[in-house]
Order: sequence, then structure tokens, then C-alpha cells
Amino acid sequence: MSLALAARDVVVELGGKRILDGVSFEVGRGEFAALCGPNGGGKTTFLRAALGLVPLAQGRIEVLGSRPGSARAGVGYLPQAKAFSASFPARAVDVIVAARRGSWPFRVSAAERERTHASLARVGGERLIDSELRGLSGGELQRVFLARALIADPALLLLDEPTAGLDERGRAEFLELLESIAVRSDLAAVLVTHNAAAVRRLADRALYLDGSVRAWGAPEEVLDREWDRVGAFSGRDHETPADARCEDA
Amino acid sequence: MGELADLVVLPLAQGFVRRALGAGLALGTASALLGVFVVQRGLGLVADGLAHATFGGLALGLLLGATSDRAIWIALPFTVAVALSIQQLRRRTTLGGDVATGVFFAVSFAAGVLFLGLRAPHAAPVNVEALLFGSLLAVSPEALAVTTLVSALVAALLLGVGPRLAYATFDPELARLSGVRVLALESLLLATTALVVVVGVKTVGVVLVSAFVVIPAATAQLLGRTLGTIVVLAVAASLLSTILGLFGSYHLNVAPGATIILTLGALFFLALALRRR
Repeated sequence: MSLALAARDVVVELGGKRILDGVSFEVGRGEFAALCGPNGGGKTTFLRAALGLVPLAQGRIEVLGSRPGSARAGVGYLPQAKAFSASFPARAVDVIVAARRGSWPFRVSAAERERTHASLARVGGERLIDSELRGLSGGELQRVFLARALIADPALLLLDEPTAGLDERGRAEFLELLESIAVRSDLAAVLVTHNAAAVRRLADRALYLDGSVRAWGAPEEVLDREWDRVGAFSGRDHETPADARCEDA
Repeated sequence: MGELADLVVLPLAQGFVRRALGAGLALGTASALLGVFVVQRGLGLVADGLAHATFGGLALGLLLGATSDRAIWIALPFTVAVALSIQQLRRRTTLGGDVATGVFFAVSFAAGVLFLGLRAPHAAPVNVEALLFGSLLAVSPEALAVTTLVSALVAALLLGVGPRLAYATFDPELARLSGVRVLALESLLLATTALVVVVGVKTVGVVLVSAFVVIPAATAQLLGRTLGTIVVLAVAASLLSTILGLFGSYHLNVAPGATIILTLGALFFLALALRRR
């Protein structure tokens, strides 16, 4: 199986603190991997390292056979925190076209608009094409950014807690959406999540990360092994383990 | 027809008015283009800080023996250096941009006062009021040439890097992931802001130049829905204010810097009243 992502003995240190310590795992092409673990366990840091946004102190990450940041066109990224300027006059079509062009579109061509429409349709968000980002709900914003991540037909999708901040209905809809994308295409994905339901429904394999790799294997095995020990998984993002048990049941 | 001649043609028959109009339009175009990015990034205070740094640069030029017109060649690199230092301070410390700007603002201005005080007793007197409030109607042919050249360079540069700069302004991290050199563009934006502010200080003065950068973009942002529209509206507001303000100042016999900025202010409040809900 050719690899979409390979991490070998990855060490990341930020502000003098070791965040990732000897992390090694592989994700095959077409494979959907879930990255789970407690807050501060290094999940988002790993994604950022894979994107080339965080330097490695030691080790190596290969993304689609290249070093992080080199295979930009082949990688789609859905960030957890949307850090865009709220005062910036951005419509969904602008954001999606910008990802493909690598620059902001002062004018969008008919072909670009058509392609953007198709990408938004893939995530059920075609009506949002001319909507301003600042007026969108959390769920709508996630759809736009997922369409953005998919615009270049990536071979690898990096999803950072895509259901965080959504209400129950929004979470269910978004998981359904991710499931349809995972089933319909052969793209690989790494999903950072606290959501046990997402791990069960979407992942081919799950990795439990708490600074280093604690477990890596079939989702049920990893969930069963780590659940009682740490209680990091839940049916709802960022909630207490006790609530999570009720929710997940 | 006779009234129109009195209002427009008569002033334009005079060379100093034509030079003032040329300098104002050139500066207005460049500062409005730049202002769109400066305002979107929340760097309005930086323009004000750099104007005060320009005072220090001009004073250094005068201390080194340059004439009032030639001192700009010292002020240009001095102010660009201050702009890049503000960026470094923001990047390398936990201090916010407003604090970094505040520190350089005060230090540069104080240095300017010191430089003026250190000049030889027999040196030509300096018109500090002209430095603070500008002298658009006294723009020399050399100053007009410098203003036009710098403004044209800045406008060309922004038209070239504008789409990438806009992407980096929208979201630096996503832009970086798309291959945009975000830090280099931020340095470029600050350096070009410094250039425009320095030539602006020569025309509208230290106190008012940041308004030339900030108000047209702020006005346009109230009305425009896309970045392209905002750019066009900002330039239009700047040029209209320059023309109305300049002719107004001529007929009222007051300083043009004030009438131009007041016209910009009037357009801003009009836009505020008209803005889409």
C-alpha cells in the first residue's frame, strides 16, 4: 500500500516544551485515520507539523512522499480555529478560489465559479457560494472550509476537530457528510477528534496520542483500551467523561 | 461658466496650485491603495506612529546638514527602518502592535526634537509648523517629482502583490499553506507604508498624514462588499477629497491639509449614514 502520510520518530518542541516525543505511524492512500487523545496531547501540533507550519526537532514526516509543505496541491486542510479576519470582505467563493489560486481573487472567472459551485455542492453548501463568511453559522462555515479543502481534489485531507463547536444536529449532519466523502472517494484522511462516534463511524484505524503514541489500531480496540484509563473520547466534543458516557451510550 | 472659471481655472493657472494638485492626487492614490490593507490589518496606528518617526528622520537629515527638501532622503530609510523594527518587536516579543508602535513613535519623535536642538546655532531656522501641518501649496518641483515617483512605485507594487497581500491579510496561515510568503509581504507593506508616510509628511504634515492612509479605506470599507469595490471606493474618496479640499483651501485661504482631511471626514460620516445595514 502506498502511503499518504508517514511519521518516523517525530519530535516537536515548542517554547522549550516537548509536545511530540517519538511519534511514528503511517496512513495509507485511501485510508481514514482518527487521531485521538486528551487536550494538550499534541494532535493539532502533529497536523500543523504535517502541514509544515511547525518545525520538527527530530524525525521525519512524509506527506504524499514529500516533506511537509511541499505537496500543497495534494493536501486539503480544515482548521479547527477559523483565524480569518472578521472584518475582511470575504465571500465563500473568494475563499475557495483563493485556495486554488494561491492569491485573493479580485475577480472570479466563470470557470472558477463553476468549479467552486461543484465543490460546495459536494458538501451540500452550493447556496452559500455568494454568502459573506461573517454571516455564516458554525455549520455553514465548516461546509465552506470543507469545500475549500476539497477544491483541488486532494489525495490527503487533514481535518482538525471538524465537529467542535457544532450543536448536536450540526455534528450529526457533518459526520454524515464526512462519511459520504470518505466512502465516495479514495482520498486518505487524518481526523483529529474527541468524538467517539466520529471515530467509530469514519475511521479505518485510530491512533491515541498523548505526547507519544499510546495506541494505534482498529478503532474499537483503541476506544476500548483507552476509554476507562483516560476518558478522552466522548460522543460530544470537549465534554466531561461522565457526560460522554451518557451521550455515547 | 464664469463661476467655474473662478472656482477651478483661475487657481489652476498658478503653478503652485498645479503642483499641489499633482502631489495630492499622487499621494492620495498611493495612500488609499495602501490604506485598504493597513486598515484591514488593524495597522491604522502604525501609519500615525510612522508619521512621527518621519519627524525624527527629517530632523536627523537637517542635523546632518541637508536642506529641508533633501532631508527626505534621510527620512526615507530612517522611517523604513523604524517600520521594520516595529514588525520585529511585534514578532519577537509578546508586546502588541500598538505597544511596539507607541514605543517607536515616542522615541523617534523625541529623537527628532533632540536632533533639531543639536543643530549648529548658525544653521538655517526650521519651520516646525510646516513639518507638523504640511505645506502642500509650497511643494517644490523636486518634491513633486519625489512624491509622484514614490507614489507610482508603491501603486505599481501594490497592484503586483495585491492579490497575495490580500490573501495574507484575510488569513495569514491559510495563505502560508498556499505558498504565500506572508512575512515578506508584511515587511513590504510596512516598508511601503513608511515610504508613503514620509512623502505625505512633506505635503500634509506629521499630524494629518495618517488620515490620508486610514480615512479613505475606512470610508470604503463601510460601503464596499468585495475587496475590489473597496479599493475603487477608497481611491475615489481620496481623489475627490484632494480636489475638493485643495480648491476649498484656495478659496477660503486656509491650509489645504486641513480642508482635504475635513472633506475625507465628511465623506466618512456620509458613508457611515449610507452604509448597508
